[in-house]
Amino acid sequence: MEPLGESVMRTPHNGAVVQRRSKTRSYRLSYRSCLGTTSRLGPTPALTTRRLNASRRAAKPQNLTERVDPEHLALLVKSEWQLSYVTPLYQFRHTQLKSYSRQLSAFIVAERQQGLAVEVSELQSSYRVSLSVLQGLTESENDPETVLIQIHSKPLFAKQDEPQKSVWSGLLTCIHGSPEYLRSLSKDFTCLPLFGSRGPEYLSRVVKTWFQKTFDCCFGPLEINHTSLQWFVALWVDCHSQSNIQHLRMLWTVPAEPPLQIMYTVDPQDAWDLWNSVRKEEAAKGAEEVGCIELQEVSGYLEALKSHFYRHFRLDLSSGILKQVSTALGSAKDTGRIKMSNSRHVIATLTLLTECALLKMPI
Amino acid sequence: MNDSSKLLLQRIVRRIPVQMLKATLDKWGRLTVEQRQAIDFTQSKWALTQKLLSFCEENGVTLTQLAELEMIHVIENPNQGMWYTFQLLDPENDAQSLELTQFKQQFKCHLSELLRQVSVKIKKHTDEAVWIRIAWGGSFTKPNHLKPTYVVHHLQTPYFFVRNLTSKLKPLLSQALTLATRHQGVKEANLSGRNLTSIRDLLMRQYQQMFPTKYPSPHDEEDQPVLNQYIEKEQGHVATHRRRMAREVFGDGTLPQLQSAVYKLDTKFKDPSNKTMTEREDTFKCVVKFSSINLLESLRSCASSGIASAPVTPLLSSIPLKGRNYFVVTDNTPGPSSQRH
Repeated sequence: MEPLGESVMRTPHNGAVVQRRSKTRSYRLSYRSCLGTTSRLGPTPALTTRRLNASRRAAKPQNLTERVDPEHLALLVKSEWQLSYVTPLYQFRHTQLKSYSRQLSAFIVAERQQGLAVEVSELQSSYRVSLSVLQGLTESENDPETVLIQIHSKPLFAKQDEPQKSVWSGLLTCIHGSPEYLRSLSKDFTCLPLFGSRGPEYLSRVVKTWFQKTFDCCFGPLEINHTSLQWFVALWVDCHSQSNIQHLRMLWTVPAEPPLQIMYTVDPQDAWDLWNSVRKEEAAKGAEEVGCIELQEVSGYLEALKSHFYRHFRLDLSSGILKQVSTALGSAKDTGRIKMSNSRHVIATLTLLTECALLKMPI
Repeated sequence: MNDSSKLLLQRIVRRIPVQMLKATLDKWGRLTVEQRQAIDFTQSKWALTQKLLSFCEENGVTLTQLAELEMIHVIENPNQGMWYTFQLLDPENDAQSLELTQFKQQFKCHLSELLRQVSVKIKKHTDEAVWIRIAWGGSFTKPNHLKPTYVVHHLQTPYFFVRNLTSKLKPLLSQALTLATRHQGVKEANLSGRNLTSIRDLLMRQYQQMFPTKYPSPHDEEDQPVLNQYIEKEQGHVATHRRRMAREVFGDGTLPQLQSAVYKLDTKFKDPSNKTMTEREDTFKCVVKFSSINLLESLRSCASSGIASAPVTPLLSSIPLKGRNYFVVTDNTPGPSSQRH
């Protein structure tokens, strides 16, 4: 059996055969589950054979208040983020953030003069951009530090000493990114694959354009697919013993004419008991490592929930699409919107999202 | 005109779309022909309000007459806001022969006994529905006409529909209605929706239903486009059967528009492959909410396309059968349809 570390980080980007655990049963299941995930993600690039992790460390809630500035934490959990993936940035230096702030401000002004970054209803006089490092979030030494982008502005007829309001926030981060991939990049590239934005769409567009021009990178929408949403369900329900999830709510859309939406809300204690029972059943089938959640446990859990539904309504939820998952710890929508409501589980959420972003990147 | 009348008129003009305003004012009949012709309906709503205010002052229109204007509009456009259904229980012997004038008198009398300051207006619509508009006051405050409650009742049926009623005033209204209609009790009928005509049609079964027959007539089957003759040969029979069953449960043609159905499930988790949960004493509690722009059509299409397995489960078929869209499901009653009515 392989050591724990190797089995958890399993995203090689060369064509080498992936190391599997020696148990034949789990080999077959995890291989099948990997095939399943790649087929759902569309055409896999021929050069890489990266797969979504079939097993994951159970999330430990971490008290981030010692490591991270509480204001930054408050910003992270305040409201929803719209997610995108970013290809590695060329010659991005964390030391030059001030100069980047000035360049981005100037770029926004130039775009406004061209009439591209203007919103009809708003008449802002000036934008002030600040790029800063959000220290304390990253854990592994391979991950570059998280960058926080904020755009403040003052309304046109405001007084001199009125404080500027933050109108747009952005986040570039990489939490527990695949070390093999990160190490394989040349020194000139900084990999911050997860981009989150919050604010008016026209500003997001301008910021992305500037990044694309300056660092020769590429942005793209990051949808949270069905498997990742299932992982969110498992990771959040698993935390119920430490932080009360208050409810487990899932939203499905069924392709009827007109479309039917089904919102399935489960009592937290019952969701927790069911999760433990599913884990026990899976553990009884074959010994597994402690502290690791397997994909088959996750899919088994969702299957159990769906079968309870089927027993009552004789309607198979697999015919629909899982659109949204939410608990008191956060909510994830398949359009790529995430809300982290509890600062203690931010790391686990961002780890999963970083992996999704790395997987969706075309390089 | 005092302030409250002005406020009410402003609100009414704001609420009514301009296209309907002319017809509503004509129906109201409190303005003279010259006044009505003098109104320019292409003006802004604010200008219209000012014009109407001056006309109403000229004619000496009272608050209750303005309330009538609002009522006319609501009766013509009942499908707004949220309507809740109640059912009257235990009718007395003379409940069946209740007449409109008797009902009006009794209701106004009972309600004013319970609450001194209340303003009631009752109108009978052409389709036999009795519309009641109630503006509630307090012990020392005058009736508030800006937040009226509307009640719709068909005489000799045990149902009434209510819009915009606070929980504090619910017992008063229930008592007055129960006494006026000669019943002994009232309970919630667990049916709510935005579309009054739809929930009424659903409750009174006024939609096109399809009854199970042993020999279906060929006219009943619509011409489904045959996409592939091989699929049709194998699956055609099964598909037709499914479609017919869906139509038997949910009805044919256009269905009443319900927006949502809520089920509170409190049953035991039964799964032969999961011993822990099956042995658990507690029930598995969850809430399922189905929503759609037209829920019954969505469910019918689920049943006919096979997403919902045939035969349709009693939980779903209870929506049209029992005319409810809120259910609490427990394990108490034996059999597949474990629900409390």
